[in-house]
Amino acid sequence: MSRLRAEHLYKVFGRRADQAVARLEAGTDREELRAQGTTAAVIDSSFEVEEGQIFVVMGLSGSGKSTLLRMLNGLLEPTAGRVLFDGEDLTALPARELREVRAHKISMVFQHFALFPHRSVLENAAYGLEVQGVPREERDKRATEALELAGLKGWEASWPDELSGGMQQRVGLARALATDADLLLMDESFSALDPLIRRDMQDQLLQLQKTLKKTIVFITHDLNEAMRLGDRIAVMRDGRIVQIGTAEDILVRPATDYVASFIQDVDRSRVLTAGSIMDEDKADAAAAQGRGLGKAPTVTTETPLAELFTPFSTSEDAMIVTDDAGTPVGVVDRERLLAALAEEPRVDAAAAVPAGVATEKTSKDAGVRARA
Amino acid sequence: MPEFHPGNWVEDAVDWLQTHLGWLFDFINTVLTGLYDGINAVLGGGEPLLLAGIFAVIAFWLRGLAAGVIAFVGFVLIDLFQLWDEAMQTLSLVLAAAVITIVIAVPTGIWAARKKSVSAAVRPVLDVMQTMPAFVYLIPGVMFFSVGTTPGLLATIIFSMPPGVRMTELGIRQVDGELVEAAEAFGTSPKHTLTRVQFPLALPTIMAGVNQVIMLALSMVVIAGMAGAPGLGERVYAAVTQVQIGLGVESGVAVVILAMYLDRMTGALNVRVSPLGRRAAAKATAMMGRMRFVRYKPGSAVALCGVVVLALVAGGMNFADSGSKEQASGSTNVGKGKQLNMGYIPWDEGIATSYLWKEVLEQRGFKPNLKQLDAGPLYTSLAQGETDFQTDAWLPTTHQQYWDKYGSKMEKLGSWYGPTSLELSVPSYVKGVKSLADLKGKGKKFDGKIIGIESSAGEMKILKEKVLKDYGLEGEYKVVSSSTSSMLSELKRSIQKKEPVVVTLWSPHWAYNAYDLTKLDDPKGSFGKGEKLYNVGRKGFAKDNPVVASWLKNFHLKEKQLTSLEDKIQGAGKGQEQKAVKEWLKDHPGFVDKMAPAPGGEKKQGKDAGKAVQMGYFPWDEAIATTYLWQNILEDRGYKPNVKQLDPGPLYTALAQGQMDFQTDAWLPTTHEQYWRKYKDRLTDVGSWHGPTSLELSVPDYVKGVDSLEDLKGKSDMFGGKITGIESSAGEMKILKKVLKDYGLDKEYKVVSSSTSSMISEVDRSVKQKKPVVATTWSPHWVYSKYPMKKLDDPKGSWGKGDHIHVTAKKGFEKDFPELYGWLKDFHMSEDDLGSLEATIQSGGKGKEKESARKWLDSHPGMEDKLAPVK
Repeated sequence: MSRLRAEHLYKVFGRRADQAVARLEAGTDREELRAQGTTAAVIDSSFEVEEGQIFVVMGLSGSGKSTLLRMLNGLLEPTAGRVLFDGEDLTALPARELREVRAHKISMVFQHFALFPHRSVLENAAYGLEVQGVPREERDKRATEALELAGLKGWEASWPDELSGGMQQRVGLARALATDADLLLMDESFSALDPLIRRDMQDQLLQLQKTLKKTIVFITHDLNEAMRLGDRIAVMRDGRIVQIGTAEDILVRPATDYVASFIQDVDRSRVLTAGSIMDEDKADAAAAQGRGLGKAPTVTTETPLAELFTPFSTSEDAMIVTDDAGTPVGVVDRERLLAALAEEPRVDAAAAVPAGVATEKTSKDAGVRARA
Repeated sequence: MPEFHPGNWVEDAVDWLQTHLGWLFDFINTVLTGLYDGINAVLGGGEPLLLAGIFAVIAFWLRGLAAGVIAFVGFVLIDLFQLWDEAMQTLSLVLAAAVITIVIAVPTGIWAARKKSVSAAVRPVLDVMQTMPAFVYLIPGVMFFSVGTTPGLLATIIFSMPPGVRMTELGIRQVDGELVEAAEAFGTSPKHTLTRVQFPLALPTIMAGVNQVIMLALSMVVIAGMAGAPGLGERVYAAVTQVQIGLGVESGVAVVILAMYLDRMTGALNVRVSPLGRRAAAKATAMMGRMRFVRYKPGSAVALCGVVVLALVAGGMNFADSGSKEQASGSTNVGKGKQLNMGYIPWDEGIATSYLWKEVLEQRGFKPNLKQLDAGPLYTSLAQGETDFQTDAWLPTTHQQYWDKYGSKMEKLGSWYGPTSLELSVPSYVKGVKSLADLKGKGKKFDGKIIGIESSAGEMKILKEKVLKDYGLEGEYKVVSSSTSSMLSELKRSIQKKEPVVVTLWSPHWAYNAYDLTKLDDPKGSFGKGEKLYNVGRKGFAKDNPVVASWLKNFHLKEKQLTSLEDKIQGAGKGQEQKAVKEWLKDHPGFVDKMAPAPGGEKKQGKDAGKAVQMGYFPWDEAIATTYLWQNILEDRGYKPNVKQLDPGPLYTALAQGQMDFQTDAWLPTTHEQYWRKYKDRLTDVGSWHGPTSLELSVPDYVKGVDSLEDLKGKSDMFGGKITGIESSAGEMKILKKVLKDYGLDKEYKVVSSSTSSMISEVDRSVKQKKPVVATTWSPHWVYSKYPMKKLDDPKGSWGKGDHIHVTAKKGFEKDFPELYGWLKDFHMSEDDLGSLEATIQSGGKGKEKESARKWLDSHPGMEDKLAPVK
């Protein structure tokens, strides 16, 4: 059972939003609506997020990803569709109960940190607990713990304007963690940081996630970040989700040429793993070879391609790919590696999200595939 | 073009509201005046210096040491200008208006920030409030609320509201949307989003709004002086309309001091109030490093303590004062403190007679309040019964419109002057011009100019449209309109240079007293008939105040009297009207009694009535008592006594030099022997009025078995071995040592020297607790009237012989004041009388000696005639 489920979410800004949804369902174009003064920010978006997963929504600015995120905790009311969290329909809740859910179960980290300048670091971190009505002593204790988790031990008495951007975002993170909410919404949380610090923060998030196992929805416009963090990734364009899948799915089987063009600049050698390019048919042979020689180099399915270059530079032999248990599951040879890196991603219409939604695109995609 | 006058409807609407919604206006009136009176009672009640101290502490707290010191100096300056009460009234108005404004403006601003529709609706209303000339709502304010505090406050609230609303809305809107979103994302309710995030972050902007509110309130409160709002505004308005530059500048400076103080304090308040402000201040202080102490500010708790301590002291002094505010009641006290509200238009004769009546009514024990108003508001307030009477109604022409409108709600209290006249005048050195007809053909001489007054004045209209035509002076003369004050200065300049000039004048006017002018005859009667000046009271005034009404009805001034009074006031200038009136009354002895005869017969005048008598005294109880007693008596007898406190040395010197006429407290032959020996050739000994004096120890009469100094022996346990003394420097203390030795008490008792007042409080304490005590006292002293003390006999005569108290006077006093000399020669006071007089003065408190003496005199009928008999 998934923890978070979005069902056919629509968000239309402007007059006669309901009619606009009906027209969109009937196939009217988004541009057509815009000409009439209504903006469809999110169109028919559905997805599920499993417990403990980092679900990344990726898209360029204006693609509707932030709007989508704000519907998940009810900051924006969906024009149509439902949001189910632990089976509870958030869109049907009255305002007061919705606030309770936000106070206890869902927290949020913002792009520009959104720290309260009139509160100290500790008071900022304790804000969610203050809203919950936790007594001062306990909330200070828990906020201090959260700050420690975020790596800000000793900065409690400081003020936000005394901290660097990275540290400020750690406060933002601590504020979100302090409430013990299971669902963490992160809105381009690392986009405002410079690259080195961004990487640090990504590492720290992954590190924390190992122990905390939160359910996270992460918004970004940075594909590399999406690939690094996302257990599953949804790619958005013009208000629609065009593909949902793992990083590999998207790299190897982009659903549309839009996604394909998007992933062009991605360093495939860091995203693709040995497991994704191995020749499974030769697994048995490999196993035999491995047993026989005992010398052939082995890698796991999770090893990124980038780490295969060094062994291949010294040996011409194929490498054996093993699973976590050490059982050989396939082999990779030089030709396969080079081919994988040279390969133009093939657009795979089957991977596209609910095909019915984007009929026009599917046909176009089909053309692309035909050409491929 | 058809005409369209919505103004008429507004006028009708105002009338309708006035009749149908009176209760609402009464309610608003009660709230506003109540708030104002409350604040003013606090601010106006204290000692100026202590309040200045409180203001200084607040400045110290908010802005640091330098600001505190400057604030103190500023407020002291206001006090030195003698504008303290006015400044506090203004401050109270500002605070009352600001409180109400902020209470309305901030919530409105918040509401507008959260709802676009509210914002859209509020904006045009604010525009109107801000730009509509203040007079426009000041005047209906007067219609509804009469003159005084309320319309001023109302206008101020309306005028100062917009920035409060606008800045609040702006401040709330300016709060970063992401922060509001963050608050919402964590489940904050809208109410808490406002209080925890939006309001604290908007506070700096809101405080800037509050600052603007207070500054605008101050500027408006000054303007509201026009509608009779009390305070500096009234002074400024009076100064402007009466061209009193000095008063104007002083009140202006006082306004500026208040403005700067309020501005800086509310500006700095932000630092204390808002978290962001505190944060910024802390940062700035940290940057200062070693110079930090310059920015030192006491903590809120420390500052609060300072304010509380000063406030308690101020309050305590106030409390101590309030016990003694009883009015002196003499037989001239007809009013018994009754309040009378007078209004006047700032026309010379209005000012002169109003202040004349104010002075006379005060002398007769009334409490007149004087308020300067424009004609419209004045008549409105008369009709509404807010003002009791005014003295400057020009009827039947000039004030006809008001009389037509309100005549039924007012009553005439007789005409006191008339007829008035309008005329052209020339200096008397301009020969050959006696009549308007003489002006013809002399245009060149006068540069073809007639110096006019305000072009809106009725006289100018008559002059231009009728008089010049009738005498054929059109074309030859041009009427230069300016203002009354410019006309007068032009006249003054011309007279100084002896140049010919024709000015537009009217009678009565002080210019006729100040300069030698010729009124030009008007043989054709072109200027029309003159008017009469009436006293006008509110409906029912004569019934409520029959005595004052009869005085007013019998009041009459001749032109010479009026113009000389006006001239005197004009010469004194700037806020000294009443002083000028006093001087004028001095030059017109008996005028007050003629103007306001006290019922029950006139005061018996002495033969030398009107003569000034200089009295001196040094601060010994019996000197104070008798001096103020004689001051009262002499005033009743028509003398002009002046009382001055001096030390014994200078007093004797002044007597010897003839600068003082007499004093009542010469202790002879012992105590004042040195002075007497030195000056006796140049002094007159009028005679002794009390004696002998004595020095003694005394005990409360409940101490049985101790009647003489001898009885003290062996009873030291009873008294704790202590004799309560006075100042160790006093002669009596020296003699006491000898006394104790003579009676063998020196080993047994210890003399505790302190001060006379501590001795008395020790007696007070002991008597209240019925404990035995031995005090060092002397006779005469009021301690014997107030406490049951008995003097211990001195069988051995150790204290020595007593003095007699004499009246001493300058040389030749007998010749200068034969009558008074006779009275003083026969002056005698028993110890009981003197003791009770001293006790009355003592309990009356400092600064009230004269009233207390009057009280005593009134409670001893026949005393005055006994002391100062007149046939």
